[in-house]
Amino acid sequence: MFRVASDELNSRVPDGPLQQKWDKHRFNMKLVNPANKRKYSVIVVGTGLAGGSAAASLGELGYNVKAFCFQDSPRRAHSIAAQGGINAAKNYPNDGDSIWRLFYDTIKGGDYRAREANVYRLAQVANNIIDQCVSQGVPFAREYGGTLANRSFGGAQLSRTFYCRGQTGQQLLLGAYQALMRQVSTGRVKMFARREMLELVVSDGVARGIVVRNIENGQLEVHTADAVVLCTGGYGNVYYLSTNAKGCNVTAAWRCHRRGAYFANPCYTQIHPTCIPVSGDYQSKLTLMSESLRNDGRVWVPRNQGDRRAPGQIPEGERDYYLERRYPSFGNLAPRDISSRAAKERTDAGFGVGESGLAVYLDFRDAIVRDGEDAVRKRYGNLFHMYEKITAENPYQVPMRIYPAVHYTMGGLWVDYNLMSNLPGLYVLGEANFSDHGANRLGASALMQGLSDGYFVIPYTIGDYLASTQLPKLSDDHPACTSAKKDAEDRLKKLLAVNGRRSVDSFHRELGLLMWDYCGMARTRTGLEATIPRIRELREQFWKDVRVLGSGDTLNQSLEKAGRVADFMEFAELLAVDALHREESCGGHFREEYQTEDGEATRRDDLYSYVAGWEFQGAGNAPVLHKEPLIFENVKPSTRSYK
Amino acid sequence: MNALLRVLSLPAVFLSKIPGLAPVVRACSTSVGQKFLMAITGLSLIGFLVVHLAGNLQLFAGEAVFNAYAEKLHSLGPLLGIAEVGLFATFAAHIGLAISTASMNKLARKSSYALKETKQGLFILPAGGASSWMMVTGLLIFGFLVIHIMDLKLKKGFGVDYTAAMNADNEAVNSFQAVKAVLSHPVHAGIYFVCLIALGIHLSHGIRSALQTLGLHHKNWNFALRTLGFVMAWGIAGGFISLIVWALGSKS
Amino acid sequence: MSSDLLNLTLRVWRQAAPNQPGEFRDYRLNGVSTHMSFLEMLDVLNEQLIAQGEVPVAFDHDCREGICGMCSLMINGQAHGPDRGTTSCQLHMRRFRNGETITIEPWRADPFPVIRDLVVNRSAFDRIIQAGGFVSVNTGNAPDGNSVPVPGVRQEMAMDAAACIGCGACVAACKNASAMLFVSAKVSQLSILPQGQPERANRVLNMVAQMDKEGFGSCTNTSECEAACPAEVSVAHIARLNREYMKAMLFADH
Repeated sequence: MFRVASDELNSRVPDGPLQQKWDKHRFNMKLVNPANKRKYSVIVVGTGLAGGSAAASLGELGYNVKAFCFQDSPRRAHSIAAQGGINAAKNYPNDGDSIWRLFYDTIKGGDYRAREANVYRLAQVANNIIDQCVSQGVPFAREYGGTLANRSFGGAQLSRTFYCRGQTGQQLLLGAYQALMRQVSTGRVKMFARREMLELVVSDGVARGIVVRNIENGQLEVHTADAVVLCTGGYGNVYYLSTNAKGCNVTAAWRCHRRGAYFANPCYTQIHPTCIPVSGDYQSKLTLMSESLRNDGRVWVPRNQGDRRAPGQIPEGERDYYLERRYPSFGNLAPRDISSRAAKERTDAGFGVGESGLAVYLDFRDAIVRDGEDAVRKRYGNLFHMYEKITAENPYQVPMRIYPAVHYTMGGLWVDYNLMSNLPGLYVLGEANFSDHGANRLGASALMQGLSDGYFVIPYTIGDYLASTQLPKLSDDHPACTSAKKDAEDRLKKLLAVNGRRSVDSFHRELGLLMWDYCGMARTRTGLEATIPRIRELREQFWKDVRVLGSGDTLNQSLEKAGRVADFMEFAELLAVDALHREESCGGHFREEYQTEDGEATRRDDLYSYVAGWEFQGAGNAPVLHKEPLIFENVKPSTRSYK
Repeated sequence: MNALLRVLSLPAVFLSKIPGLAPVVRACSTSVGQKFLMAITGLSLIGFLVVHLAGNLQLFAGEAVFNAYAEKLHSLGPLLGIAEVGLFATFAAHIGLAISTASMNKLARKSSYALKETKQGLFILPAGGASSWMMVTGLLIFGFLVIHIMDLKLKKGFGVDYTAAMNADNEAVNSFQAVKAVLSHPVHAGIYFVCLIALGIHLSHGIRSALQTLGLHHKNWNFALRTLGFVMAWGIAGGFISLIVWALGSKS
Repeated sequence: MSSDLLNLTLRVWRQAAPNQPGEFRDYRLNGVSTHMSFLEMLDVLNEQLIAQGEVPVAFDHDCREGICGMCSLMINGQAHGPDRGTTSCQLHMRRFRNGETITIEPWRADPFPVIRDLVVNRSAFDRIIQAGGFVSVNTGNAPDGNSVPVPGVRQEMAMDAAACIGCGACVAACKNASAMLFVSAKVSQLSILPQGQPERANRVLNMVAQMDKEGFGSCTNTSECEAACPAEVSVAHIARLNREYMKAMLFADH
């Protein structure tokens, strides 16, 4: 199924005490002097929190930046949909927070599968992010007196989450977008919207450019630069149904992987516990209800199997508040992976509610009685409104029905401490890389990581690379460019030429269901072993029987989707292989063979305390596994307990 | 249309040559600036209407009082002339700006929807309430203005019998009788009535809109301002209509 | 929670390319579940079209949870359909009756040219933001977040404006295709917050100038934009833009 390489991946983590690594590293890195910065060009793919903040910051420094996104405007990247908030160890509430505690919580939340140095740096710069965003005019929630407000979030026992109602991602993204637009107006950044990256240009083993398709008119364009920064998000849509936007895809990352970049830990996928359950087979996506709801909502199912009574008629004594029962100290605020699995455990055992039995209650009755409906409305009004719009039920009167759904992917392209992949010149930021969340991400940490990478890490580390590397000029008609362009072109032609019987979506749905059933919340060796050949079969069938109508030289949404699904078909296999190879349970990766008697995950640090970086060997060929051992010098991996 | 716009922009070009005014003129040439000028000229014209109505309500006090008032006005001589020129300039500016913004609005959507519905449910008038009828009512008011000047300034109203207002030299000098003659003529009364309703509609949106354009919008005051606008609009229109009713009534 | 099924006729605007004439085409769609979202209904239509060998209808969409602002449909003459405070992706088929004919058009405004079918180009909005819809603060220049207090009430007002999703429904619904609600939302947010003060005057002047340059119409204060806005941005922000503009026009140091 796979081969293990003899080498170890070098994370390039600087020496010295954890607290001083980043400072020391910043001093040791080479600088590009201000007058020379304009001589360098950088490509940024994706304009979410990571890409938007990176493109803006690099433009401010004076680099020539070209930014790309497939949406019609950079403001629409899916970071915009993040609801809950962003963490930082400001300790404004005076409740005992510190950079060290944020670092510790994040490492522990990630089930000790993240790199210490990266996570510590993340915790360090988180405070700067808040300051930067406030300065940009991001309207964070404030107390009446005018100081910044905080709320608590899953996986932490204190309040360190900054938020803008239920639209924190939107406001942070608009801040980055506005900074980006400012750079566009100065001419430092050239913005290319409605462009989809289809290939990476690699010349002499160095990433030097990209091939994009102009979605409006189908033209293929080659863009070259001195470095490529990939900020293209996660691959949750491999499951078809997820909380991701419809356009989210793995193509940019997968194309880089095919050109030599290692893909790390693809099996670490996060299933979010509080989503609106599936209502029919036409369903196109799942809607998340912010985790912040668990601050006041209580999760329960009936104590009796198959209890079909309306929730209001089930007396207190016959309700099972299973999170509070199993995890008394964290209760309803248990981390996402744990809450999701607990919901699955209850519904699998036949205690689920709703028409399908695949849902649990999230009940605000007690909060409404305690604080009044107005207070609850003030905190969650827009979320309740959204829930009611989708389900036509009033959550002030009946408990919400929720169920876990694919939400975030911790895996991604492998990067070193500088956020550079194993391909020189290719940087990977935000959800697209694997770096900071280990096997499970805590709430309000994704926004923190995206902005940390873009605002405060890449501006330093890319300068070091550019200052210390001699790069020959690369013209658009260089063989590396023309061959990449031809590959992209051939692939599009091939997709259009199949002219089979089945729509792209039907394949995507089938792939998604397969992945959800065997590679979702719980995985087994037998299930995975049976799934891999089925993925291959489906992929073959796809290339024989997909029907993509229309032409390649106009806006053609079927063609766009087909390209993305084709890559998901290849990627899915790697995800399954990674899940099969990791014979332990950790964070978002739960192997049923490895659990305690009461159903908690069993990690195997002696065997699997490493990052799995996969090298591509051709579609369908066994990939090569490169390991990066994880060394914990500052925290001692222990069994994660939220009891 | 472009030629017309160029002619209309001449005053602005002239004004922008005055030292220190250029930025203001430039700002006034934008969509927002033009709406300000619309609002200011509109409110000025309302000011005129209020004064005009206050004067005309003296018709109720009888012939002697009203004619004394008319006499007094005419005795102002050049002052009255200046006021009239100012009034016409304001009218012209208001109309010119209306044409300018309307053409801008037309250009912003050259091909329109096959189906268009409002999301606001409170309108009595079709097509989105009074705001959609500003051009139509504005044109009616303009037409009314022409007739009104013919009727009572030039005293050449079509089919009106000015005999009662004439002096020995056949000059229609008795304002009270001239007004009565015009307003009691059924066709003129009818036209006046229709145009005054149009005025009411125009003002019911115009006042509210002018206040919003000038930035008067606050949740503590919106209700009061809107009510005031509505009362003023229909107060003015109703006030003038009451004169028609009076004239028609006193004819018999 | 039981689902009813609808049989519908869809009148959909089809246009192959920006400069080609378009036309309405009627499609029958049967068995539409009332639990579907409007866009899921279009997905089903497209599956049916693909099966019949007809090129599917192109429409913009992405997050499908009402926040990205990508979806942009004129549904029976109303931007984002009949509900208030709702995007097309959050509109559900339970709002429609069995046997109904639903007319679906793209946003129509000259600054938003049609690219294909129901997809329009809204880059004019980006250019308006480029003209001044930002605070000029380079990364790394920020003082502590709590160094300038912002009263909770002011922050809430700014947030009301900042909630704009940039979908263009205000333009689509306005009889003049005016972009005032969009522009005013950003001007208002940044003029309320202390961080926006240094560039306050130039911001409003430049953004309005760009808005005009893009060819949007002027504001007639009908408030149709507010009714159509999925983020429920109030026309109070237009009034604030007007005040800001007046102040900047008369008193700014040009």
